[in-house]
Amino acid sequence: MKRIKAVMVKEFAHIRRDPASLLVVFLMPLVMMFIYGYALNFDIKEIKAGIIDYSGGDLSRSLIEKFANNRYFVIEDLAARYADPIKAGEELLKAGKLKEVIIIPADFSRRLKGGQKADLGIIIDGSDSNVANLVYQYNELIILDFLSAFQDLKELISLDTKIYFNPEVKSAFFFIPGLIAILLIMISALLTSISISREKETGTIDLVFISPLKSSEIIIGKTIPYILVSLVAGATILVFTRFWFGIPIRGSLLVLFVFSLLYVLTGLSFGILISTLAPSQKTAMFGALLATILPSVMLSGFIFPLDSLSPVLRGISHLVPATYFLKIIRGVILKGAELKHFLFEGVAMAVFSLVFITLAIAKFSRIRKKAK
Amino acid sequence: MRLFYLVKKEFIETFRQKEMLPLIFIAPILQIIILGYVVTTDIKNIPVEIINLSKNRASFEIVQRITSSPLFNVKNISNQDKDALDTLKRGRVKAVIRLQDPRPKAGKALNYPEIQVSMDGIDSNTSAIAAGYFNGIIKKYILEDLARKGRQMPVDTHTQIRFNPELKSINYMGPGIVALLLTISTVFFTSVSLVREKEQQTMDTLLISRLTPVEIYIGKAIPLAVLGLVQASLGMAVVMLWFKTPVRGNLLYLLLSALVFLPAILSYGLLISTLASTQQQALFFSWFSMITFMLLSGLFTPIENIHPAIRPLADINPVRYLIKIIREIFLKGNGVEYFYRDLLALAMIAITVITLSILNFKRFISR
Amino acid sequence: MTPPIIEIRSLTKKFGRFTAVNAISFDIQPGEILGFLGPNGAGKTTTIKMINGLLKITSGQVLIKGLDAEKHRRRIKKITGYMSQKFSLYPLLNALENIEFFGGISGLNAKQIKGKQAEIGQTVDPVILKQNVQDIPPGIRQKVALFVCLMTDPEIIFLDEPTSGVDPEVRRNFWLEIYRLKKEGKTLLVSTHNLDEVEYADRLLIIHRGNIILQGEPETLRQTHGKESIQELFIDAIRADENGQGEGA
Repeated sequence: MKRIKAVMVKEFAHIRRDPASLLVVFLMPLVMMFIYGYALNFDIKEIKAGIIDYSGGDLSRSLIEKFANNRYFVIEDLAARYADPIKAGEELLKAGKLKEVIIIPADFSRRLKGGQKADLGIIIDGSDSNVANLVYQYNELIILDFLSAFQDLKELISLDTKIYFNPEVKSAFFFIPGLIAILLIMISALLTSISISREKETGTIDLVFISPLKSSEIIIGKTIPYILVSLVAGATILVFTRFWFGIPIRGSLLVLFVFSLLYVLTGLSFGILISTLAPSQKTAMFGALLATILPSVMLSGFIFPLDSLSPVLRGISHLVPATYFLKIIRGVILKGAELKHFLFEGVAMAVFSLVFITLAIAKFSRIRKKAK
Repeated sequence: MRLFYLVKKEFIETFRQKEMLPLIFIAPILQIIILGYVVTTDIKNIPVEIINLSKNRASFEIVQRITSSPLFNVKNISNQDKDALDTLKRGRVKAVIRLQDPRPKAGKALNYPEIQVSMDGIDSNTSAIAAGYFNGIIKKYILEDLARKGRQMPVDTHTQIRFNPELKSINYMGPGIVALLLTISTVFFTSVSLVREKEQQTMDTLLISRLTPVEIYIGKAIPLAVLGLVQASLGMAVVMLWFKTPVRGNLLYLLLSALVFLPAILSYGLLISTLASTQQQALFFSWFSMITFMLLSGLFTPIENIHPAIRPLADINPVRYLIKIIREIFLKGNGVEYFYRDLLALAMIAITVITLSILNFKRFISR
Repeated sequence: MTPPIIEIRSLTKKFGRFTAVNAISFDIQPGEILGFLGPNGAGKTTTIKMINGLLKITSGQVLIKGLDAEKHRRRIKKITGYMSQKFSLYPLLNALENIEFFGGISGLNAKQIKGKQAEIGQTVDPVILKQNVQDIPPGIRQKVALFVCLMTDPEIIFLDEPTSGVDPEVRRNFWLEIYRLKKEGKTLLVSTHNLDEVEYADRLLIIHRGNIILQGEPETLRQTHGKESIQELFIDAIRADENGQGEGA
């Protein structure tokens, strides 16, 4: 125990004498939070719809009004502006200036009033299938709303949808906690990844090898100081999240702290594992960045929902620590979830840390033996 | 021509490094295949829980339809009421659907059950789409039921989907990923190239020769550009052959755009390598740039949604223009008359970055 | 006396606050071998790099055949040759490819390049010529590097520690080659920190910590300072300079 402390003290001294990289560790995530927090947003802002009304009757005008009054739609009357509105509409779709074109035939009002079935034509830009789907759904809702003026369709089924946790449906709520997860693991892995490879590069590793310390003591002693650094970085990010982005923290800070500790440990132990494997500092850094950011961004549920992944990829996502923490952080911050809800995830992260550290110790012992 | 010999040397050096060959040829193929499957954001398999308190025949049918739909993954169906909020907090399902027998409204007896949907709104994208799917299932049921009773919906909507009729998101994302990978590997190879020269200490030999700084710059850039194009082509081949993404437009336009894009991104890579004082810095800054390029490119989230404060960053992001152009060529078959403005923006960015890069390169070599 | 082919006037190089070369001045006569001697870090490489335009001159002037080197770099490159400390061949290319590259960028045409490749084949085993430079013995590497340096038939040749890391036999052959070049009328500046090569030069320049502490013909210097050998002269001069009593040129 005393010997681990000695390693820790030395490592702390290293940290203290390198204020430049500390600054980077704190500043960089803030900068990234700022940029990406404001950049990532998939709220539908406005759906530009071009309307071609051949009918001109009061019913068609009523339908158009329903679209116009909806806060998601911005409509443009194509018949009024263009001689050949359909051609113009297709062109505007191609140019990306419209998301859809709605065509109301000449006999629309007449047929509806006469109790006959009327037709409605819609052309949607299908490039972005997600948006196209949403546009389609919104169309349906608006048309249904329009029709409820006639028939008792609304009365037929009582459908009440309540959205929890994000009533204003802002994607910041989705992304920003996610960013915290990504940044935390990136920082923690980076911090420890250069630790051993730096010693390899400067040659001081030989001194470490011949010291009376056990390999496990060395590895653990090198990891612990960075826990503090990572947690402080994490706290800074959290403060920024709460006060700059205004994301409320609905859950318990203590619970968050406990799980963050576990998560940071996985990052740190992963970093130190890389440090034992990499021959040089730059390879270590590169490896740490690559192995943390890509899977964490792609496969953890940060942007792409896990349930939509193919079974193979979903399986791989279980190997990504960020997947577990993401669930936790979204749950605790946004839903006010408690410790009991995430026992499995907590254990999973602890297991990861254990595995990484054990592998790191094993690898370190092996190269130490070879050096002798 | 002196340049010819420099370019030839660069190629020989690159291919003599055994680690490079798989990186150049195999990596892009693998990356596109994996990423292609990951970023297919077709939302499906949404986990939900159903609480059915209704004895209604309609309820039974609706529950059946939800269960058998590939869009939803019904984790649990129970007949006992429970707290939806707590279930959502646990995070195992994204929505709780509760059906109960209808209570009479304004004296009229209703035929269909009352349905309450409690939704986890955190992933606003998925929840909106889930709500849409759900509405769709209900509506379909109602229509069919009405049809059985001899009634019908007054309005028949005919919807056509342009450009991506099967609404496969790989068609939208695939071409974009190729653009992204082109960016990442180009920046990587660029930094490696300069670093190698520094480590071999052969930089001086180049400088003392009759090659001008501009010639050295171009001589290093050309092989990198060629490599980039080869990789992009491999990526395109995967997207078209493996994922069967149709190409509606002219591939020559694609080549043109790539030729404008590559100098921009190459110069950017060289600029970083010459500005950084240590290799770590160069590495770090390239990473940071690439992630920023990636997230601000319109690949994952729309450009229009980027907050005005950050907008300028997206406006000078060359990847953003390339992705837009690639998508238009692939999906819409657009010719240059549609995207000439984006091409112009790319060209302007390219010229600016190249100039800055060459100026800095000159400063870098005359210490 | 004939005008010097190279004139160095108060040449200075500062890196930030550190002065690597401190206002040194000297001349090189046409057709002579100037030995540039000094311990590591004395400023030899820095000086040679400045003369060749690889480092920016902080202050001072370099005149080559009467022309200001900085202003007429292009013309001067045509008549000078340079061999750097590490031989600077491309390790991943073989000797023949290196020759092709350097020949090509120096303006030799394809026929001339082929000629040069055949020429080196007469003194070096062709099998070795096809191996990657990083795999061939240092002695051969040095030979090829010198060959490359001479490919354009320069009038003035700068050799920065050309014999580092090669064994005495190779070193001797190297100096025979230098003499041959001198006979052809070339001017050579050779820097070294090997004391036993000191006697091969026509004139010596001893540099220490950025200053010239001794200049002149080896034998004359030895006699003037009453030393048994050049080596002793050199060691004493360095020591004296370190103790703050420069012996002046």
